[in-house]
Amino acid sequence: MEPLYNGTSVRAAKARFGARVGKGGRIALGLMCAFLVVGGVAVLSAGVAAGWILVGFAALPFMVLQWYSHELTAPKTAGVTVDGLLAGDILGKLNTSPSPRQIADIAASVQGGQFLAARFGITKVTLQNITSDDPAETQAIWQNALRIREQTGSETIDGAVLAVAVIFSFPGHEDLLAHMKLGSDDLIEGARWYEDLKRMIEEGSRPRRTGGIARDFSFGYIPLLRRFGQNLSDGTGAKVSVDVGSHVAALDQLISTFSSGGRQNAVLVGETGVGKTTIVHDLADRILDASARIPQSLKFRQIFLLDASSLIAAAPGRGELEGLVMRVLGEAYSAKNIIICLDNAQLFFEEGVGSVDLSNMLLPILEAGNLRIILTMDEQRFLQISQRNPSLANALNRISITPATKQETMAVMRHQLIYAEYQRHVTYMYQALQEAYDLSERYVHDLAMPGRALKLLESAAGYSENGVVTANSVHMAIEKTMDIKVGVANTDDEREKLLNLEDLIHERMINQTRAVQVVSDALRRARAGVRNVSRPVGTFLFLGPTGVGKTELSKALADVYFGGEERMVRLDLNEYVRPEDVSRLIADGAEDPTSLTAQVMKQPFSVVLLDEIEKAHPQVLTTLLQLLDEGILRDIKNREVSFRDAIVIATSNAGADRIREYIERGYKLQDFERQFVDELISSNQFRPEFLNRFDEIVVFRPLEKPELVQVIDLIIAGINKQLASQKISVNVTDDAKVYLVDKGYDPRLGARPMRRVVQRAVENLVAKQMLSGAVSAGAVIDVTREQVEAMLGPDSPQ
Amino acid sequence: MFMLLVTELLRWWYGDGWRGRARLASVRLDGTIDYFSIGLLVKTLFSPFRQISAGRVDGSLNVQMRALVDKLVSRLIGAMVRTVILVVGGIAIALQAVLSGLLLVAWGLVPLLPVAGAVLAFVGPVL
Repeated sequence: MEPLYNGTSVRAAKARFGARVGKGGRIALGLMCAFLVVGGVAVLSAGVAAGWILVGFAALPFMVLQWYSHELTAPKTAGVTVDGLLAGDILGKLNTSPSPRQIADIAASVQGGQFLAARFGITKVTLQNITSDDPAETQAIWQNALRIREQTGSETIDGAVLAVAVIFSFPGHEDLLAHMKLGSDDLIEGARWYEDLKRMIEEGSRPRRTGGIARDFSFGYIPLLRRFGQNLSDGTGAKVSVDVGSHVAALDQLISTFSSGGRQNAVLVGETGVGKTTIVHDLADRILDASARIPQSLKFRQIFLLDASSLIAAAPGRGELEGLVMRVLGEAYSAKNIIICLDNAQLFFEEGVGSVDLSNMLLPILEAGNLRIILTMDEQRFLQISQRNPSLANALNRISITPATKQETMAVMRHQLIYAEYQRHVTYMYQALQEAYDLSERYVHDLAMPGRALKLLESAAGYSENGVVTANSVHMAIEKTMDIKVGVANTDDEREKLLNLEDLIHERMINQTRAVQVVSDALRRARAGVRNVSRPVGTFLFLGPTGVGKTELSKALADVYFGGEERMVRLDLNEYVRPEDVSRLIADGAEDPTSLTAQVMKQPFSVVLLDEIEKAHPQVLTTLLQLLDEGILRDIKNREVSFRDAIVIATSNAGADRIREYIERGYKLQDFERQFVDELISSNQFRPEFLNRFDEIVVFRPLEKPELVQVIDLIIAGINKQLASQKISVNVTDDAKVYLVDKGYDPRLGARPMRRVVQRAVENLVAKQMLSGAVSAGAVIDVTREQVEAMLGPDSPQ
Repeated sequence: MFMLLVTELLRWWYGDGWRGRARLASVRLDGTIDYFSIGLLVKTLFSPFRQISAGRVDGSLNVQMRALVDKLVSRLIGAMVRTVILVVGGIAIALQAVLSGLLLVAWGLVPLLPVAGAVLAFVGPVL
């Protein structure tokens, strides 16, 4: 096979010479040139003609200096061989027969390689560890380098391309990358990113032609606009924009609207965060660029963004505002080079704080179409305004902006983070960008892409580790702002808690081991990162008689793992028995903070308890299907509310008598569980498609006497906890406990009445003793069966 | 190797190097033309200067006459200002063009300087 790298080529020789000259050589050449000229002139001044030789020979260092600056540092590419395409800084350092390790060293030492190290964590040591000293293995690297260069559209084989080629030549590179949470495609994206950055710097350093000193001579003065508006064409905006599909289309549409003869207005309609204002900025930038291909009638026009609040503040009196706005718009029209932009245009079309309804005044202007106006509005507002004032909507040329795709969002993030890095003195890793996209997609619902990912990425800067924003920084940002847990369990405490979850829950509730196990398993799967992230953490249906621990398990879970019982979102579905109750279930948080969607939006990391689900109206259950299936429920405003970080537990007493019957006939739970569920379906208590949505259906069995004694222990432990502040504790004898069970247990109501009985017997006894002064701090009150009997009476009702 | 480098240096000097210089001169000239808005000034030489009214003026003959005079005065001022800038800009551009041309010619002569220096040293003129 033909060798791909010829280390003795002319280009290689030139690059090597350039590397040898280096920065130090450049200074030396400059000094030599100056010395020869000055020295020559001095000799000539002394009357010696040989001075001409010195002056003449100053041309040699000057020429080498020019050559170095303009060619040797970045020699022109030649042909399709590796030596013809390698970047000058690499080629200059390579010898005629380099080994893979030497290539890795050089790739890591140049700018592109350092970029890859900073953005992906692929350091020089990593590259050294995966390469050998065998020059025969270089062929694979060169082949990869040529392929990657073509794939990324890079002009040369630069440090980034070469570093990626070195990695791809390592047989175990997929595993190595997986360890860094990367794939091969990500590295290709990395090389592309580096290429984009180079292009951005090049474009940024190119001189801009913006019309010169006489650009605005033919246009009018605009003192009012300068006072009440912001000039988007003042040249301070971003100079290089990202090609987001919908943005490019919208820009073309705007230009076509403003250069045709129709109504000179456009309304950009799209969700918040989709980039409507950015499009206006891009347009301002484009029409100010003399080299841009745009119609003459648009060239050098200026876009002014009107500020609603400063207009309102300047004209507080009745009718004053209309007059002021008319003067401002009149000025824009007279000036002839102004495009007005009403950002968040709803502020000008509806009454409210900081807004004003100018529809009647603006409508004739928009209909006449003489003054160029751009409005931006979100979809919902546009629909509202269209409904209220159809003629206003008809007078506008609508341009819809769709959210950016993942690829576009990643490109926007890569572009925007340069500014964030400069302002906040941080460096973003590629993994942070990916995580910002994925997590914002899941958790940020009030913005569209790319705004939602950018918002998260910006907030992640506050959680950087030594100035580096990693995937972990993004995790922390979302965990702190949304009060959820997204990463895998990484602290010893948490790991310990997860591994012993069953024991911790059993400290609060007795038996029901299968139920405890399934919820514990679900949580462990979630926190180990092995669950399906497009569904809730777990969805469970707890069936069984009342008072057997269904609700208690939910509370225990919220308390033990989610950080307190208040982390439980509880809904009694017996309050949702009519079809119209669906709207209450998904009501807007501003109107009903107790709706399911409002509570989960506020607290996504929680236990959602849907009590007595069998009593809900079928339409309510149908609404809940999507929640159980995809972990998403849309609220009344059509916003997605994520349940993907919640454990959803539905409870039902349906068939409680049948469970008791089975138990009394001596069946074990596992023997009749399946049959019991079939009975629930055949008796039309639940539809099969509803039951199928749950991860697990768990039947709770009634508690037996020894278990009820343990429940008494838990209740007494609770009483002791309450008394701990007074340094008093209660000790109930065993026969008293059995008596309490006899008195408190009701086969229909389960263990629930026992709490009331214990309250009446033990708490009242303690209260009396404390008030009579019989006990003091540090005392232990022994409660005997006789005392309990005396408190409850022999035939005391429960 | 030395001869190869010398050959390559000269090849670049009279090839890409010279072309690069010419391109740089052209870019700078474009910048100056843009700075003085030459194209715009020529196109709008007789347009009103900083116009304060647009479109047709309605009203009595008196009002229309006054508007016409206003516009005429505005156009006159505009033409004067623009002409002055055109002249100043024209001179600046011409000077820059001449200077750039001289520099381009000088670029071609630089490799000959050592020989020229040796000849002058032999001929003997001194300062």
